[in-house]
Amino acid sequence: MKLENEDALDNLIICHQCYTLHKEVPIKDGTKASCSACGGILYRYDSKLIEHGLALSITGLIFFILANLFPLVKIEILGYEQFITIPKTFIALFDNGFFVVGILCAFLIFIFPLMIFSINIFLFLLLKLKKGKTLSKELLILLSRIKPWSMSDIFLISILVALVKLIGYAQIHMGVAFWALVLFVGMDLYLTKRIHLSEIWMLRKRIYLAKGEQ
Amino acid sequence: MIELKEDQLIRCPICEAVNIDKGKHNVCRRCGSAIYKHQHFSTEKSWAYLITAMIAYIPANLYPMLITKQFGAVEGSTILGGVVMLWEHGSYPIAAIIFFASIVIPILKFLILIYLLISVKYPIGKDKRVNKHKLYYITEAIGPWSMIDVFVVAILAALIHLANVEIVAGTAATAFATSVFFTLLAAHAFDERLIKEH
Repeated sequence: MKLENEDALDNLIICHQCYTLHKEVPIKDGTKASCSACGGILYRYDSKLIEHGLALSITGLIFFILANLFPLVKIEILGYEQFITIPKTFIALFDNGFFVVGILCAFLIFIFPLMIFSINIFLFLLLKLKKGKTLSKELLILLSRIKPWSMSDIFLISILVALVKLIGYAQIHMGVAFWALVLFVGMDLYLTKRIHLSEIWMLRKRIYLAKGEQ
Repeated sequence: MIELKEDQLIRCPICEAVNIDKGKHNVCRRCGSAIYKHQHFSTEKSWAYLITAMIAYIPANLYPMLITKQFGAVEGSTILGGVVMLWEHGSYPIAAIIFFASIVIPILKFLILIYLLISVKYPIGKDKRVNKHKLYYITEAIGPWSMIDVFVVAILAALIHLANVEIVAGTAATAFATSVFFTLLAAHAFDERLIKEH
């Protein structure tokens, strides 16, 4: 295999599922390229990636704030009323003396999701304004480090599991924040699973190259 | 003009850029992060995390995960005990979810990682048909789901604390969360370059 220089490596892509080497080919807007060996998605082409990303991350952040402000679930048990919010979940662990689990939960369901969405907003804004070449690089690196540690989707399923356990003992009312969390998880899945980081890296390269030529 | 073989190309674990494997000190040409620089300890780091996780998994199963204090009576239930109780109460789907998340996934992850870590050092027989990259990808994808039980305990503990009825987390919650945390670290520390199938 021959290459002209190291930059030519950008035309190659290794499947993130099965490590097969592929050559990147231009595809139509809104379509995706799949791996020929395992069928996993290699990359998508979206000409409005910045706008989509920005819109999604802002909406997601709004839903995340809503999900944190209002009660997720309200239960009635023996005449008492109790409710939980996302911060209350890990604060209760602190109150019981479970600091390790408390800190872990605080990061997994609160700090990391919040960070991911704030970083995404900042990153797409930088790309939109074509500014901050090094800053956007640092943000992308940070993003890929914390991405595997954000577990809002798992937390959502956990709420459902916990509620099913309580059926029969208590009356359950879903709060506003629960639906906000559902929508937030939808945004989160779209943003972190559907938009690959390598696509943002390629976009970043195109933007700053075009800017350098002017 | 550079001439190279296809199996010299590696993927940066951070930014997914394709890089040329230059041996000991690989710095990604796109994001500048070091690509698995612990060359002398290729699998040891991952082993260390994995063994810690497996040790933490033992108390996670022995101690109670959830403690129910009901009118003065204190009752603890372990992970397996909780699953059995749910099954007897007829909540089969929930029992199955908890069983998968807290027992099947962690053990499956331990076994897959042990297999990967051993097989990259000592090739075992005819294991070429097993796509180890795919196996590794699956481990990374299913790993976080074992946190379900910890979150459920956290939610129940936050929700049920009345004068007469109270649910608190048990010792196993800490042990289990530690175990999951270290399995995730073990999976991240695994050097994908060691799988050479070409």
